[in-house]
Amino acid sequence: MIECNNLQIGYSKPINEPFNLTIEKNKWLGIIGENGVGKSTFFKTIIGDLKPLNGNITIDKLDLAKSNKLISYIPQERDINVNDKFSGYTLITLSYNGWNFGIPFIHKSLKQKSLELLELVGAINYMHQPFCTLSGGQKKRIYLAQALINNPSILLLDEPLADLDPNAKQHFVEALQEIHKQQKLTLLIISHDMHEIAMHLDGFIHFKKNKVHYCEELPCIKEAVYVGI
Amino acid sequence: MWAYDVMQNALIAGILIGSICGLVSVFVIIRRTAFAAHAISHISITGAAGGVLIGLSAMTGQLIVNIIAGIAMGLMGDKIKKNDMTIGIVLTFFLGLGVYFLFLFQNHSAGGVMSILFGNILAVTQEQIHILLIICAIIIGCFLVIARPLLFASIDPIIAESKNIPIRFLSIVFFIILALTISMACQIVGTMLVFALLVTPGAIAAQLCDGFYKSMLVSVLSANIAIIASLIISYEFNLPTSFCITSLMCLFYFLTYMRNVLVSTPPFITKFIAKKQHN
Repeated sequence: MIECNNLQIGYSKPINEPFNLTIEKNKWLGIIGENGVGKSTFFKTIIGDLKPLNGNITIDKLDLAKSNKLISYIPQERDINVNDKFSGYTLITLSYNGWNFGIPFIHKSLKQKSLELLELVGAINYMHQPFCTLSGGQKKRIYLAQALINNPSILLLDEPLADLDPNAKQHFVEALQEIHKQQKLTLLIISHDMHEIAMHLDGFIHFKKNKVHYCEELPCIKEAVYVGI
Repeated sequence: MWAYDVMQNALIAGILIGSICGLVSVFVIIRRTAFAAHAISHISITGAAGGVLIGLSAMTGQLIVNIIAGIAMGLMGDKIKKNDMTIGIVLTFFLGLGVYFLFLFQNHSAGGVMSILFGNILAVTQEQIHILLIICAIIIGCFLVIARPLLFASIDPIIAESKNIPIRFLSIVFFIILALTISMACQIVGTMLVFALLVTPGAIAAQLCDGFYKSMLVSVLSANIAIIASLIISYEFNLPTSFCITSLMCLFYFLTYMRNVLVSTPPFITKFIAKKQHN
């Protein structure tokens, strides 16, 4: 459960009025709002990259510093440095508990788990293909499996549907549905293209004019042109 | 030829340096810090010349300056990849300083500095081998402790940062390792050609391998094969060893590159074959 108490976020100046928000476990929520209203900043605050300017966030009643490992984040822009031959499978296995000191050890159960996740996200067919040769949609599925390898209880996705063609979007959303069903995790997704996923969501967090609203019903965002509905 | 002490020392030093350069090279390629490595190797000249000028050995001077430069670059963290301009300016300043030190040096023997510039594996002494062994042990020890988070932070820096991995600390440790490696490798190929051992083994591995350990193995093997073969060739044909090492490393890279070109079928041939089959 994510709890925001009198939270104000931003880089140096607060970009919103203080708000309280409780996100229950296993919910799948869409985060909507115009550009620059603080959606990605909210994610960066949840993962601890930015400190709240006021108020606080707790995850399962723990401070952010202690709950950091429970969260997986897929940012909008990536900077993956892999060799020409490194595959998606290698990327996933090397990301497992990557924060622990020592040397990387790829044991049997990790291999098995990686294969299961690749199957789940529908990337098993190109898991050994060099990562740099994959298409945008294929890379996003690999990122999804990479994000899940550390058993997160919260998954944050920032514009995962951007740059995908309609077919790839549909496959990606199907993969998300399957993940939400099987992994029992809280999914927060920022997107300007909600019409692909709106029917699967449990609710929305709406960033609007310095204010943040939570609503469970779809109609509240119907007026919003920027979500593609 | 291996009966001579000189050759035995050269072989031991070569294997130690080849192994460490092979390990470090994989990270240099993944972290895209080839230019930073190039800069540290050239800053060595200033360290060596400055060291000798104040009465230290060339290697000690080089080691001190390399470590300082390494820490400074490490402090930049992941931004180092985008800071080519800063590195270039600092590099030219240090090179200029090195030239000035060499100018001050005109009336003294500059043999030690020259050996740092162009390297001389046949001049490696037992004492230097002991120092190399200590440096190797330090580098391997560091890798055993930080390899996992360093690799994760190198491959996926944004996510690593979000997981509170101490990216800047790892970057500093990596650059200190790099500085130590360069100080070692300069004994063989010199600051001018050390790049061949810092970049080419990792680049060869990147052409051939998927996976961390396979890359490490190929990188270490290619560096060692090149060094040992160069020792034999230079002995038999009376050629400079550093020239043989750099030439062989480039040849290995060219061969792996050509292999990849030949193995991957160009799209127009694939289309041609598909058309033929269709008809």
